[in-house]
Amino acid sequence: MTGCCGTGEKGHAGDQSSLERVDLLSNERIAEGVGLMILHAPHTASLVEPGQFVHLRVGRGRDFILRRPFSVHRAHGEQIEILYQVLGTGTLAMAELGCSDDIDLIGPLGHGWDVPENIDHALIVTGGLGAAPLGGLAEKLAAQGVAVTVAMGAPTQERLVGRDVFEAVTRRVVIATDDGSEGEKGFVTGPVARLLDEGSYDMVYACGPEVMQREIASMCAKADVPCQVSLERLMACGIGVCLSCVVSTKDGLKRACVDGPVFDAGEVCWDASEIPPKH
Amino acid sequence: MTVATDLSVTIGSLKLRNPVVTASGTFASGREYANFVDLSRLGAVVTKGVSLKPWAGNASPRIAETSCGMLNSIGLQNPGLDVFTQKDLGWLETQDVPVIVNVSGHTVEEYAEVCRKLDGDRRVDAFEINISCPNVDSGGMVFGTSCPEAASVVSACREATSKTLIVKLSPNVTDITEIARAVVDAGADCVSLINTLLGMAVDADTRRPKLARVVGGLSGPAIKPVALRMVWQVANAVEVPIIGMGGIADAQDAIEFMLAGATAVAVGTANFVDPTSTMRIVDGLTEYAHSRELHKITELIGALEV
Repeated sequence: MTGCCGTGEKGHAGDQSSLERVDLLSNERIAEGVGLMILHAPHTASLVEPGQFVHLRVGRGRDFILRRPFSVHRAHGEQIEILYQVLGTGTLAMAELGCSDDIDLIGPLGHGWDVPENIDHALIVTGGLGAAPLGGLAEKLAAQGVAVTVAMGAPTQERLVGRDVFEAVTRRVVIATDDGSEGEKGFVTGPVARLLDEGSYDMVYACGPEVMQREIASMCAKADVPCQVSLERLMACGIGVCLSCVVSTKDGLKRACVDGPVFDAGEVCWDASEIPPKH
Repeated sequence: MTVATDLSVTIGSLKLRNPVVTASGTFASGREYANFVDLSRLGAVVTKGVSLKPWAGNASPRIAETSCGMLNSIGLQNPGLDVFTQKDLGWLETQDVPVIVNVSGHTVEEYAEVCRKLDGDRRVDAFEINISCPNVDSGGMVFGTSCPEAASVVSACREATSKTLIVKLSPNVTDITEIARAVVDAGADCVSLINTLLGMAVDADTRRPKLARVVGGLSGPAIKPVALRMVWQVANAVEVPIIGMGGIADAQDAIEFMLAGATAVAVGTANFVDPTSTMRIVDGLTEYAHSRELHKITELIGALEV
C-alpha cells in the first residue's frame, strides 16, 4: 500500500510555507454567491505557484474552528486574489469580513500545475468556481509563449468568473452556460469535445465540479492528451498530517494538501466516489 | 530576584522538559510542523498511531466541522511499523525531543508485537496504547470500553516492553475510573485521556451523514468540560500520572487540566487551527508560572481547591 501514509517522501508542506498575518484589502461579491477577496500577503505572493493554495483562518472565535483551503486565483506584487463560493457557514462569515478583521493564512501550500518546458498549446477548462486556481496559470503560460485556449462553463453568464483574466491573455475563450445566457447552452464538455477533435493540445488543465473533471479526464485519455486536474477535499491541517483530504490514486491514497491539489488525471481513481465538500 | 520555574514533569521513567506534548494523530511525527514549531521546546512528540501492518483508513469524507469542534473518522490510516521505523524514527532521532509512540492494533497480539519490536529501539522513549479509537471496527475502542479487554491489552504490552507504558482512555464509557483502575492494575505507568467522544453530523439538505462512516470522534473546545471532568475523576481514582487532553487551545486550558490533576497535557485539534499552538502554550505556561512565582510547575498538579 504505497502512498498510504502520513509522512511520505514528498511529504510535507513546502519548506517555504509559513503562518502569515494578512490584511484584507477588498472583499466584494462579484456574482451571485461568489466573492473575490484581495489580500496583502507578501510572503505568499512572492512564492506561490499557479495551482497552489492557502489555508485561511476566517474567525478568531471557537465557533467554527477549522481553516478553509482556497486556491490562489492570481498573485501580483504583494497581493493575492481568492475567488470563493459562499456555500456554508464558514464562507458566509468570510463574505462578511472587512478590512479591520484579523485574518491569517498558512501558505503557499500544495503541489500546483506542472508546466512542461516543451508545450506549445494548452487547453484550460473551467467549470464555475473551477476558474479559481487557473487564473495565474493562464498568465504564466501566456508569459512563456504558450498558446492558450480556454473553455469556460458556468450556470449563467453572470457566474463566468475569472473571465477577464483569461480574455486578457487569449482571444480563444469558448463559453458554455447551463441556461444558454451566453455561448453554447449546456455543459463545457460539449465545446471541449470539439476542441480536442480539432486542435492539437500538448496539455489540458481542468478544474470544476468533480463530475466534470472526471468527464474531461476520460475525454483526454481517449484523445491521448495529458491532463491535470485540481481536486477539492475537506481539509483540517492543510500540511499533510491529518489525512482528512485523501484522494484514491493508482498508487494508493494520496493527500490533496501536499501531493495535490493538482493531480495527473490518469493517476486518479475516479470510481472512488466523493461527496462534494461544503464549507 | 526571581528564579526561573522548573517546568519539567515526570511520566513513568520519562522526564519531560515541560508538560506540553502533542496529541496522537494531529502532529504526524512532527516533520510537517518543522516550519512552525521548535520541536526541542516540546515536552514530547506523541506520534500518529502505528500498527503492525499498514492500515488503509476509512472512506471519505473523513471530517466534518461542528460547533466549537470537529468530527473525524480517519480510521488510523498508517503505513505500518516497518515504514514508521525507517522513515519517522530515523527523522525523529535527529530531533532533540522525547518520542512517545502511539500503538494501535486489531488484536491483543498486534498491540504487543509493536511494543516488542520497538522495545529495544533506543529512539523510542515510551508507548501510548490506543484502546480508545472510535473509528475502527475491530480493536480500538472495543478494547477500551471493557475492563477485562483493556486489562488484557495492557498486560500483553507490559510483558512486551520495559519502557514507560501510557494507556489512552475512551470517554465513551459509563465510568472511566473503572477502566483507569483496570489498566493501572495491569501495569500502566500513566493514563492519557480523553480520546474523542463518539458523535455524528447530518446534512439536512442531502439527508446524508456528513461522514462516510456516519459516526466519528468529536474533538476540539466543545469537549473540554467533559475532558476536565474525567481527568478530575481519574485523578481521584488512581495514583499514576495523567496526560490530560480534550480541547486544549491555550495555556489557560492547559493550566485548568493540571489543576484538575493532569501531570502533562496534550494539544490536538488546536494544531490544525494554529500550527504554533504548542509553542504558544509553552510560552503561556512559562509566563503564568513566573507571574505566580512557582518554583516548580508540578505545584499545579491536582491543586484544584474544591
